[in-house]
Amino acid sequence: MKLTRQGFIAGLAFSGLALALGPALADGPRIGAPAPAFKAMDADGKTRSLSEFAGKTVILEWTNHDCPYVRKHYNSATMQTLQKDMAKEGVVWLSVISSPVGEQGYVEGPKAKDLSVQRNAAPAGILFDPRSGMARAYGAQTTPHMYIIDPKGTLAYMGAIDDKPSSSPSSLNGAKSYVRQAVAEMKAGKPVSEASTKSYGCVVKYAPVS
Amino acid sequence: MFEGCDGMMPRDFISRLRAGAALAVAVCALALLTPAGAKAAESAAVTSPRVTATLLSSRDTVAPGERFHVALVQKLAPHWHTYWLNPGDSGEPTRIEWELPAGAKAGEIQWPAPTAIRVEPLVNFGFEDMALLPVEITVPQDAKPGESFALKANASWLVCEKICIPEEGSFTLDLTVGDASVADQAAQDRIDAALAALPKPAPFRGRLGAEGDKLALLLAGLPAVATELRFFPVSDMLIEHAADQRLAAGEKPVLTLTRSSAFKLQQPEVTGVLTYREGGERRAVALVADADPALLTAASGAAAPGARPAVVRIPVPSDGADLTLWAALGFAFLGGLILNLMPCVLPVLFIKALGFAQVAHANRSEAREQGLLFLSGVLVTFMALAALVIGLGALGAQVGWGFQLQSPPLVIALAVVMVLIGLNLIGAFEIGGSVVGLGSGLAGRNGRLGAFMTGALAVVVATPCTAPFMGAAMGYAVTQVPAVALSVFMALALGFALPVVALSFAPALLRLLPKPGRWMLVLRQAFAFPMFATAIWLIWVASVQTGPQGVLAALVAVLAAGFVVWLIGVTRGSLPRRIFGSVLAALVVLGAGWFTVQNAVPGATTEARAGDVGVWSPERVAALQAEGKPVFVNFTAAWCITCLANERIALSRDEVKESFAKLGVVYLKADWTNRDSRIAQALSEQGRAGVPLYLFYPGRKEGQAEILPQILTPDIVIAAAARAAGREAKTAALAP
Repeated sequence: MKLTRQGFIAGLAFSGLALALGPALADGPRIGAPAPAFKAMDADGKTRSLSEFAGKTVILEWTNHDCPYVRKHYNSATMQTLQKDMAKEGVVWLSVISSPVGEQGYVEGPKAKDLSVQRNAAPAGILFDPRSGMARAYGAQTTPHMYIIDPKGTLAYMGAIDDKPSSSPSSLNGAKSYVRQAVAEMKAGKPVSEASTKSYGCVVKYAPVS
Repeated sequence: MFEGCDGMMPRDFISRLRAGAALAVAVCALALLTPAGAKAAESAAVTSPRVTATLLSSRDTVAPGERFHVALVQKLAPHWHTYWLNPGDSGEPTRIEWELPAGAKAGEIQWPAPTAIRVEPLVNFGFEDMALLPVEITVPQDAKPGESFALKANASWLVCEKICIPEEGSFTLDLTVGDASVADQAAQDRIDAALAALPKPAPFRGRLGAEGDKLALLLAGLPAVATELRFFPVSDMLIEHAADQRLAAGEKPVLTLTRSSAFKLQQPEVTGVLTYREGGERRAVALVADADPALLTAASGAAAPGARPAVVRIPVPSDGADLTLWAALGFAFLGGLILNLMPCVLPVLFIKALGFAQVAHANRSEAREQGLLFLSGVLVTFMALAALVIGLGALGAQVGWGFQLQSPPLVIALAVVMVLIGLNLIGAFEIGGSVVGLGSGLAGRNGRLGAFMTGALAVVVATPCTAPFMGAAMGYAVTQVPAVALSVFMALALGFALPVVALSFAPALLRLLPKPGRWMLVLRQAFAFPMFATAIWLIWVASVQTGPQGVLAALVAVLAAGFVVWLIGVTRGSLPRRIFGSVLAALVVLGAGWFTVQNAVPGATTEARAGDVGVWSPERVAALQAEGKPVFVNFTAAWCITCLANERIALSRDEVKESFAKLGVVYLKADWTNRDSRIAQALSEQGRAGVPLYLFYPGRKEGQAEILPQILTPDIVIAAAARAAGREAKTAALAP
């Protein structure tokens, strides 16, 4: 509790700076425009960048394992199933953790890998973004928040994982997966019919601008 | 399931839940049961370290058929919040499902005004400290006194600080039905206070339009002293919630909003809550805004890859919108002054000035009186026009300055007036001191009515001419409350009347004029020709608006007018003659008037007028920009003499054409000769109420347009073309 409050105060102190970045966030990524480039450390301590996946479809999943909305998708195994199905399609799945040190969802490499084993999750990589640079570049707001980048590096989808903005497990029944829909349409060479949706979930914990 | 509690809730807490309670307790919430026998008006509480929630009733006993309110009360620990209907960037609103006695009904949650809770760099919309969410309950007519009336609410909510916990709880209220209702006064007072604080419907409707990448919410009717505005839309796909909401500089209340990256708008109405501070008090109103149809996204929500949501934008910073009242008054005054030099106005005024010269040599105080009468004629006519513009605007008509010339019969009527003035000036007929003393200040017959009518006439003949500076001021005026709009028109009228009034008051100036003599007669006759020329132009305008039928109607009207003044001249004398003359004249006027109105109907499309240039549409501008082409848009009208002058002097010059060709500029024309709501809309988005308006869009997607001056020269246009094309080159060079 103490740490959180400090974080809160620090957040207030830096809010002026953050405000300056507000427009940058609002201007965020655009469907049809090149997806923001990134470089981030993965769970093995290696630096990964968007450019190394050129020619492949990439999915970014903002996550926080303690967020009730993320839990809805992992406890029901829907997220893991989606990850595995996407891998079969040749899609690169990267989970992104933007929580800074001391905030809910912050983990380091071993713990992150451990979580994957426990949950039987199958991302191609887990990226750490403890300074929130990547979250700012993409305008990530919630966990989960999903982005799909096509093989040319163009942003093809951003928004919610499905159309049921609820943390209740029962909401998974009959939910429409925007991610599955978009990937299927891209594979068929069709335009993504719902390319931009309102994401839902817990707020992404941002590090103060330093 | 319990993992959802983030480990913040030790499992042994759960085991402390008392079984058998009539309370289904939230997964993560700790229930502290209030002992049985508690007051019926408040349910047992559902508590967690974050929230203490109860269901509150304004009634202990309900009467059959009555409606009353209950409320879900959430008392929140410091820094924790629950969510409004639109939770903002994350979160989920509180929901209630009801289990009610047969026949009873529960309404929707009546949402209080939310607050914006910053979670940098994001924002949530919700409630801190305390949320009291009222719901109306309807008791069925056939409820029997003595029966129990048990309400059960299954509520779920998300409570967040930085971390978020979903909670839920069931609340029961065992009320009874009685012959008359019995209120629980304390509960009733709390609920009444909450109801009184709910956002009330705003006394005005908003208008939501595109302004470049942004959205502009026009709030005409908002108190001028309102500050700290914030609009909370019900839809979470309309705006970027965390972006600043700026009230446009100046006094035109336009709130600039940032379009959501997931922008979706499928209803022509946008609803939400507007909060603001007025005189130290926080206020909240429920706002309904009419969205510009161009903002609506396709019903399927489909957007091709590479395309943003299908919206039309007119990316131009508005200059008119940023005017302050004083600047608008200043521009209006200057514009009025310059209006004096317009070719259709100058003869009338010059003749008036000569009239002063004549009387001034004899009687200075009479000259002053004439000047003041002229001034009042100008003021009264301008005020009448202003009242008309404001009145029509209030009725929802898309009007602007010069709009009256969009009516062909009025254009023809003005042409007839011009011909009559010309005939009078040339001496074809004299006007007796009777009804009107149209500009006939020369023969010493200028009665008081004459001076007044000259002022009125000068305003009428001035309307086709929008002088520089006037466009912005007029645009400002028509979007303001009537008092401000009238002030702007008043400033315009004062500027317009100044030269003549000054002349009537300044003996020194009058002394510069030669003594009356034959030269005055010659000059008066010479001034007939600009009037005839103006008439020709007006008839041409009518021909553009209506086609050949309109020309026929105009010429018949001119013929009838000439016949009537001749008839009145020759039937002077005995009473029977005058009666015969008047009756015949009236018949001719009625007949010609009927013929004119029948034939002068706007018909043929004006596209032909665009000639070798393209026809404007906002989509076309956006498409051309996307192709990388600079676009020049000329908002014009056949009846706008400034527009035509600019076309002759600048736009149709060879060097301009060559520069457009060389730089690949596409020239589009928006012709406002006839009424066109899209053009009126585009003008109002620039803060203008009339034409001319010249916009130069750079050849890149969503590039902001440059507004050119209202008086053009070839150099101005060529330089702007270079900028529009040059900016493109620079951007390309900078792009990675």
